[in-house]
Amino acid sequence: MASEKRSRRSGSEDPESGHNYPYKILVVDDEPDLQPLILQRMRRPIRSGKYTFEFAQNGVEALEKLNAQPDIDMVVSDINMPQMDGLTLLDQIPSVNPNIRSVIISAYGDMQNIRTAMNRGAFDFVTKPLDFKDLRHTIARTLRNLVEWREALASRDQLVVLQNELDVASKIQQSILPTEFPQHERYGIHASMEPARNVGGDFYDILMLERDHVGLAIADVSDKGVPASLFMMSSRTLLKGTAIGLPQPGMVLSDVNDLLTEENETAMFVTVFYAVYSPMTGEVTYANGGHNPPLLIHADGSSELVPRVGGIALGILQGAPFAQGTLTLQPGDTLLLYTDGVTEAMNADNEEFGVERLQAIFQEEPPTSAQHTNEAVFRAVHSFAGGTPQSDDITCLTISRIQG
Amino acid sequence: MEINTERTDGVLVINAEGRIDGSNSAQFLESIQAVVSDDDNGVVLDFGGINYISSAGLRVILLLAKELRQKQTGFGVCSLSSSVKEIFTISGFDQIIAIFDSGADAVSSLK
Repeated sequence: MASEKRSRRSGSEDPESGHNYPYKILVVDDEPDLQPLILQRMRRPIRSGKYTFEFAQNGVEALEKLNAQPDIDMVVSDINMPQMDGLTLLDQIPSVNPNIRSVIISAYGDMQNIRTAMNRGAFDFVTKPLDFKDLRHTIARTLRNLVEWREALASRDQLVVLQNELDVASKIQQSILPTEFPQHERYGIHASMEPARNVGGDFYDILMLERDHVGLAIADVSDKGVPASLFMMSSRTLLKGTAIGLPQPGMVLSDVNDLLTEENETAMFVTVFYAVYSPMTGEVTYANGGHNPPLLIHADGSSELVPRVGGIALGILQGAPFAQGTLTLQPGDTLLLYTDGVTEAMNADNEEFGVERLQAIFQEEPPTSAQHTNEAVFRAVHSFAGGTPQSDDITCLTISRIQG
Repeated sequence: MEINTERTDGVLVINAEGRIDGSNSAQFLESIQAVVSDDDNGVVLDFGGINYISSAGLRVILLLAKELRQKQTGFGVCSLSSSVKEIFTISGFDQIIAIFDSGADAVSSLK
């Protein structure tokens, strides 16, 4: 039994470490001799403040005491008693206090009743005639189990609190992502993120810059959980602050990288694709910090990955260079920025969704708008994954140059 | 996650199989840290049996690279599958982590 192991390791039989009041034990027996006997044989732990005893003559009286004194920790009960016997009492105890431990006193060898008592939730039993040494051990072991049980309950409650806080953190995180998109006669923008279970991971941003230019950022923080989500929040703030002041995507990533790398003990990093779109010309200037290359989709549904320009994930290497690339969206062209939650989504056969399936979506059905493009991606990924649980955030940020 | 190790010419070669992602990356790091010795001239992760590495896994590689750099121990990865190599290329990790074609190449370079 685990509780015995623990006691041997600590070298102590004292069950009440961390317990700063005496344990209250209710003894239920119809023999009037038992009360003075227990008080006499247990006088040491009583005097030292370890235990206090309460007594009842039968089950009915015991339940009354349990109701009146919710601080009773354990019950030691005889089986055969008038009015209400010990086995019936066992059945009733959980409805009064589900965390009470019970020990049954049975006749020696009465396996039938012992089995019934254990089935009804008794923690242990002692036999008549009472061996007080055994009773002391049994009480100590029972109380140790009770203490562990209470600690487990407390940890569980703390976990629930923690989980609630994580849920709130996740909501805060999602609430910083824009959900309303600029309306413009020349272009359409839409973005969407489906978070996996944990906080952390992906973000995107859409920034209205000078001269009607639009900044588009998509990013994926390494790892999940609270540290990753803090890193994500600071990455996003640095990126936004830097991007508003600088017209060149390469310079933006370079500055953000240096800021993130400065005090990065945790070796977290973030992959970022950042582009500036000029609605007048359809020109897209971009830099890539280790992120999946976006997909450029043409009006006829054909597509290709945006040419690579090098650049490593942000937060790793101080002074890392970020080259820029340029491409032009023709009227009807769509640029799909996404995170690896899309291409690395798994199905039941452990296959990845992959870039080819992504391209196939639009060969079948060319994009009609930024929103439709994203919806088609999410639909295809869901149908591919089937019931396979989502292990990563899935994020799409799409801009389309409107035809005409 | 299970790892197997062998030492050749003072270079510790670590073999791993399967996926390295958020669910096992911390354990992967711990099991590697447990086997690396101060006497090693170099450490190589043989990814011949690895078919997927997530960003959480890349972070473990970055942590290892930093630790080993402080100890002035050589570090690299070898035998990358095409999909893992792609992940290294996209993230730019191929620019900061030495990549070798085979364990033998890695050992002869790091010994």
